[in-house]
Amino acid sequence: MSKTNENPTYWKSLNQLANNEEYKKFLEREFPENASELKDGMSRKNFLRIMGASIALAGFAACRRPVEKILPYKTRPEEVVPGNPLYYATAMPYRGSLTGLVVETHEGRPTKIEGNTEHPASMGNTNTQMQGAILGLYDPDRAHGITSDGQKKSWDDFLSFAKQNFTSDKKVAFLCEANSSLTLNRLKKDALKKFKNAEWVTYEPFGEQNALEGNNQAFGKKLRTYNHFDKAKVIVSLDADFLQQGSENVTNIGNYTRGRALESTKDSMNRLYAVESNYSLTGSNADHRLRIKNSEVELFTYALAASLADKIGGLEAFKGYNNHFSNHSWVSVLTEDLLNNKGESIVAAGNDQNPAVHAAVAAINMALENKDKTVSYYDVPTFETGNDTQRFYELTRDLKAGKYDALVMIGTNPVFTAPSDLDFSSALKATKTTVLLSQYHDETARQTQWHVNRAHFLEQWGDGTSYTGVKSVIQPMIQPLYGGKSEIEYLYAIINGTSGDGHKLVRETWKSYLSSTNFENQWEKILHDGILPNTEFDTPRVSLSSSFATYMNQAFAQAKKPGDNEIELVIKPDNKIIDGRYGNIGWLQELPDPVTKITWDNVALMSLKTAATFGVKNEDVVSITSGGKTVKLAAWVLPGHADNSITIWAGYGRKGIGRIADDDFGIYVDNKYKTLPFEVHKFESKNVFPFVTTDNPLYHTSVTVKKTGEYYSIASTQDHSSMEGRPLARQGTLDTYREDPHFAPEMEEVAGIEKKSYRKFPDALYTPQEGYDYLPQWGMSIDLNSCIGCGTCTIACQAENNIPVVGKEQVKRGREMHWVRTDRYFIGNDAGDPEIIHQPVPCMQCELAPCEEVCPVAATTHSRTGLNQMTYNRCIGTRYCANNCPYKVRRFNFFNFSKEFLSSGDDPEVIQMAMNPDVTVRFRGVMEKCTYCVQRLNRAQIDRQLETKNQSFKPVDGSVQTACQQACPANAINFGDISDPNSKVVKVKHNERNYIMLDVLNTRPRTSYLAKIRNPNPKMS
Amino acid sequence: MSQIFPKWANRVPKRLTIGSIVLLNAIIFGVWYFFSPRYLDVGYQPIQPIPYSHAIHAGKLGIDCRYCHTSVEKSPHANIPPTQTCMNCHSQINSKKPKQIAKIRDHWKSGEPIKWIRVNKLPEYVNFNHSAHINAGVGCVTCHGRIDKMQVVHQVEPLNMAWCINCHKNPAPHLRPVSQVTNMNWKAPNGNPEAYGKKIMAARNIHAPTYCDGCHY
Amino acid sequence: MSKSYEFVPEPPLVQGNHTFGSITALIGDIPERETPKGWYIAFGVANLLLLLLVALLSYLVWEGLGVWGLNNPAGWGWAIINFVWWVGIGHAGTLISAILFLFRQHWRTAINRFAEAMTIFAVMCAGLFPAFHVGRIWVIYWVFPVPNQMGMWPNFSSPLLWDVFAVSTYFTVSLLFWYVGLIPDLATLRDRVKSKTSRFFYGMFALGWTGSNRHWLNYEKAYMILAGLATPLVLSVHTIVSFDMSVSNVPGWHSTIFPPYFVAGAIYSGFAMVVSLMIISRKIYGLEDIMTVDIMEKMNIIMMVTGNMVAFSYLMEGFMSWYSGYIYERGIFWLYVVGPYAWGFWILMFCNVINPQFMWFKKVRRSVTLTFLVATFANIGMWYERFMIIVASLATDFMPSSWAYYSPTWVDYLTYVGTFGLFFTFFLLFLRFLPMVAISEVKAGLPQADPHYYEEDDQLEGSNGAGSIVIQPNESV
Repeated sequence: MSKTNENPTYWKSLNQLANNEEYKKFLEREFPENASELKDGMSRKNFLRIMGASIALAGFAACRRPVEKILPYKTRPEEVVPGNPLYYATAMPYRGSLTGLVVETHEGRPTKIEGNTEHPASMGNTNTQMQGAILGLYDPDRAHGITSDGQKKSWDDFLSFAKQNFTSDKKVAFLCEANSSLTLNRLKKDALKKFKNAEWVTYEPFGEQNALEGNNQAFGKKLRTYNHFDKAKVIVSLDADFLQQGSENVTNIGNYTRGRALESTKDSMNRLYAVESNYSLTGSNADHRLRIKNSEVELFTYALAASLADKIGGLEAFKGYNNHFSNHSWVSVLTEDLLNNKGESIVAAGNDQNPAVHAAVAAINMALENKDKTVSYYDVPTFETGNDTQRFYELTRDLKAGKYDALVMIGTNPVFTAPSDLDFSSALKATKTTVLLSQYHDETARQTQWHVNRAHFLEQWGDGTSYTGVKSVIQPMIQPLYGGKSEIEYLYAIINGTSGDGHKLVRETWKSYLSSTNFENQWEKILHDGILPNTEFDTPRVSLSSSFATYMNQAFAQAKKPGDNEIELVIKPDNKIIDGRYGNIGWLQELPDPVTKITWDNVALMSLKTAATFGVKNEDVVSITSGGKTVKLAAWVLPGHADNSITIWAGYGRKGIGRIADDDFGIYVDNKYKTLPFEVHKFESKNVFPFVTTDNPLYHTSVTVKKTGEYYSIASTQDHSSMEGRPLARQGTLDTYREDPHFAPEMEEVAGIEKKSYRKFPDALYTPQEGYDYLPQWGMSIDLNSCIGCGTCTIACQAENNIPVVGKEQVKRGREMHWVRTDRYFIGNDAGDPEIIHQPVPCMQCELAPCEEVCPVAATTHSRTGLNQMTYNRCIGTRYCANNCPYKVRRFNFFNFSKEFLSSGDDPEVIQMAMNPDVTVRFRGVMEKCTYCVQRLNRAQIDRQLETKNQSFKPVDGSVQTACQQACPANAINFGDISDPNSKVVKVKHNERNYIMLDVLNTRPRTSYLAKIRNPNPKMS
Repeated sequence: MSQIFPKWANRVPKRLTIGSIVLLNAIIFGVWYFFSPRYLDVGYQPIQPIPYSHAIHAGKLGIDCRYCHTSVEKSPHANIPPTQTCMNCHSQINSKKPKQIAKIRDHWKSGEPIKWIRVNKLPEYVNFNHSAHINAGVGCVTCHGRIDKMQVVHQVEPLNMAWCINCHKNPAPHLRPVSQVTNMNWKAPNGNPEAYGKKIMAARNIHAPTYCDGCHY
Repeated sequence: MSKSYEFVPEPPLVQGNHTFGSITALIGDIPERETPKGWYIAFGVANLLLLLLVALLSYLVWEGLGVWGLNNPAGWGWAIINFVWWVGIGHAGTLISAILFLFRQHWRTAINRFAEAMTIFAVMCAGLFPAFHVGRIWVIYWVFPVPNQMGMWPNFSSPLLWDVFAVSTYFTVSLLFWYVGLIPDLATLRDRVKSKTSRFFYGMFALGWTGSNRHWLNYEKAYMILAGLATPLVLSVHTIVSFDMSVSNVPGWHSTIFPPYFVAGAIYSGFAMVVSLMIISRKIYGLEDIMTVDIMEKMNIIMMVTGNMVAFSYLMEGFMSWYSGYIYERGIFWLYVVGPYAWGFWILMFCNVINPQFMWFKKVRRSVTLTFLVATFANIGMWYERFMIIVASLATDFMPSSWAYYSPTWVDYLTYVGTFGLFFTFFLLFLRFLPMVAISEVKAGLPQADPHYYEEDDQLEGSNGAGSIVIQPNESV
């Protein structure tokens, strides 16, 4: 071709258009090669003659058509079909045990995490942290490399360093997070073999150590408690937030809701009693809830045990014990209810309660013959012997005393989380060699000699066991983005001073679990299924140890009734970021707390009465002092919280971690847009770990609280918590349901229409939308009886639909972008101690959609599948649709949120990799909303067309799920084709509890609800 | 008092009124036509890093489209072939243009992908699914033109929404047996695509979506 | 029983013994006079505000709508409030000039000219907001049914679209009407002004008016036709604006009473604005003889009537919310009264329900200062009415979980202030260069204009100097 063609700005020049003109001629010619001669001369004439009028437009064309490159593979991996996602099984280490996952990858980049239906710990479900893990992977703030004393170092540097310093003569201490990895434990043995008199300590800030110690005292054996909530009829939670905390909460939620599922009036459901100080998520789902101080939970437990001791054997240790709860109505009622359900009840204690409580609970469960029926005690081989807490304390003291040459830390952050009086940093100073493996250059990393950046679990080979012991393999979805190392590669390097390949190491371990004959096939199968079935831990036969009684007597002596007016401070792991480890994940930070609906912050939670005594309102800053430490925090009134008690979530107030976790809200859009009428106060720290000390780990009994007069703004997504007597989220008791199964749909009050007869209005204000019979008609049902309000659906939706994080100030302004929110209403006459009901609200996909009618440009219209479509690229942003939406589910891009979100950080491309390529990234000034994950629906529809050669457009029932439905750990969401009478969703919608929110408006939503049913004990009143 | 305006001024107001009306319409229709993809984008013909000629490969040699664009039937995207595909033949076959073949071999050796320049481009907010169209019996030629006659590929159709919708409203004239999808010179029997298409629509149960989230989501 | 009533004739429209000539001089001289310093100062201020407006709108378009105080429940805020408020003000002009014209209310002549001007400028201010409140103003042309690459029509069932047409039509017709009325006076000015340039411009717009019979005949016809066209528009435009609310299903919006209630409110605020402007300009330009207290009183009476219509609508709303038994409607009205925006509600209650009642007293009606006060309150009140309807209803609607307090940002405040810049820039230019009173029409109202005037004059020979007769108010003929 001619020279002009080599010119890269070819198209942008005027010749380009000219060229088009002449090109048509050139096509007609037989010898295209020669055509190039014609080009210029010819074209200019053409150009001037034909388009003289529109020269300007040529330039216009240029700027509208940037040159776009396509880079094909060199050699395409067999399984990859560009444009079609692939799904791989893997598992996520979550707080010490694995949960099986299936990860969606697009052209080799993971974009979405789902649960693995084969895996017992997941059953296809996930929780908020697992959904958020994707953003954690693409977090630009993760440590980008190995550092030593601030210097960038290479992996080889580290190896040589390890070779020199970790010689077998060294006295080495290992400090490891709770980790179920089989390979790690194999290497651990090697390590302990190589380094004589080395110490290996597991340290987890909010781990299960107290429970283990409790069982140890009760049974003389360190055993892990596992409650089968699906099998229980009566559940007593003693400050046990089993739906939110603990590494097995996904399983718990599934089991708990399965135990409450009601398909007809004949079904029965479990009954949950909660005894706690804070209003926990579990408490919000309880049928009965008793709010007492945290320190009283212990007393209550003993009182309960004592009153049971009079009726049944096995609790002799408690005989004759009594305290101010002994004649409490709850104790008597619980005793009766538990005895009526021997072998079908569960008494559960919170991980943060001290070991004695767990010991007592273990005894109770034994006495109630719950063992192996509703409660299992697992013997976990990877546990070290002894009390982890105490061993950690001793280790730290020894380190400070300089008794060790080297400290090897794996994944922990003790400088941030360890009890303040231990002063862990001095322990680091006192030790010659300190190395840490962690994802962020965190508080501990800054004080250790060597920091190795850790690989995300999606980047690494690994393995481990579920909470109940089922073995799985972690396989990488992507090469480490920042060259991170997995804990096994790290440990291997320390032991051997050479680099070990994770893949090989894991296979090595698994040789012992799989028969050597057809190892490869089994290995392949495990990688495919993500699980080695039937490998639960064994449950030894146990009995109360002889020393139990004496142990309890000591406990009785220590347990004292707190003074009525003395203020108590309780530190709880945060519902979203736990101990801060997930603090840099924007999705989680912006997820409203399930109970308080607070985002981005921790607060001092207190009851109405307590707030009144301090004379504080929400957002008034209080300074809390205990044991010489003071923290300033915004007060927040939480109705139902125990009086004279304050709860604070840990994990906030971090520094230098990343742009999300850091305590200056310097996140995304906030820097740019200050729209708040007042400035946000900044504090030294909202970190409450300083309160944690060795003698009172997680709560303090006598603290002083002062109102500072300062004001600190909190971004809560729900300002108004009363339903104002409107039948939005509907609930009834089991009895009302059995008497009047249709109570829910009849709660809508419509003047002039007789309640019973009331079903639907005949005529519509807006034009009805017809479905097409050859297409599926999508519909959804949300079961409020199953929904526990955890908010996993919100994060799943955010991950699936490229929803940006907007930052604290915008949330404060009421501009959060979540497509599905979970409304939380307080119910009941006692403002001090209300019930809570949770209600997820996505777009209702109305058939007579008010929003469609008012859009001036027809940007939101109705599809033939009955979806209420939102066409971003047509939207001009009048926001009229949002005004006219009675459910308030539409979200507006007030700023260029997506751009801010995706262009943040030093290497923005990284976050962009988290985006779902099937969903448009919305731009500034357009409306958006839940679409029932239309990208999934269309794909399913087309796949169905392809496989049936166009004979059917209707995906098989269950073959397509919305993101929220798939993630929901409570299986509260059903979705499918309502034109198919046999689909699950239709069956569910035929339940008597089925009702339509704001039915009075006759918007005919495709999304309907099933009313919540509570199962109160008639004896409680 | 002297006249301020000459006599012709009397005619000015009327002309102004008429003129402005004409002008307004001229602007609207001018923008409509001259700012249109049909006017601006059709014929976009960038110079590719390697002057690969569809005319030779698809035309003269008659290689089927799907030999290179393998995923077109099973994926939303019609993939650009990996360098490997070129090498399948060009590891042996050399041609009139050894220099160009050498380029490919370099890419193959270095593993550095060939940076092809995109010709047919839809906006990000449009989800076009190749497999669905192929499966319905829409020929490659319908949107891409006579690729087999193109020395250098260029855009043939405007690819704007109205153009898409046109076909979605009445697909019949653009349909053919699936077996003939890649056939560039396929002609409807008895020269009546409309009628023939109608038959295919009935037989293959074709419903082209005309609602928004058929393409936009 | 017989009681004799004394016949009290209408007070003369023009006071002080004015002749045709003196009227022409009185108004026609204003543009010729040396521009007063005060005008420059006022104009300067107005221009600064206008600049502010331009700056803020650019900022808005640059950064995005987030710079306004809008949030999720309250998708509309000050922008739409100001829009409705300005459109409302824009009602008086055409009403005075068209409807009163058809009803042969001669007193309108004193004020119709600048009332119309005010209308046009107010509608311009109003027009800004619906345009700039959209998220992507660069594609706002999609609301017009023009041919496009998408092959899409706008959605004709959307009230917003009706707005576009209603307001633009209203604006066009008002402008035309105003201009037609101006022609004879422009001619008068053309013949009076000295400088060549101004003569050229007046002349250009006078369209060669010579005052011939034929001209007058056509003029009267055209004026009558336009008045006929404008009359329904006066009622339609605010009716359609009210549809923006009443067609949607938001509690507090979804109500059939809205159209009449909005129109009444619009007239109320419109007249208030005209009165206040009149009071200022008659003082500055010494037009007390033409814009007499009697005329002011007549307008006050209209304000009182429409004010009471508005008050009645409030009561009806309250009643309906109770009588309908519709808990959401009930809820919202209750929230108006005691909810987070109760303060706004009570301000509006005073300004629109109590305030107009003062007009029952002749003293108030005829007192310039008091009228000015009442009028100002009326305008404040009408702004708050829109605030309550739009913001309060949206912020607390069906879903208590989504309730959120709407608070405007500094951008909201200053943008509103800025629109006054736009308004007064134009208004001052108008006062300076155009006859602010319809000279020819006022003349028609003079006793001299009565064909029998001179005959009477003969009969009264001797009793009074010919040509300079003054009819005393109470002197019956």
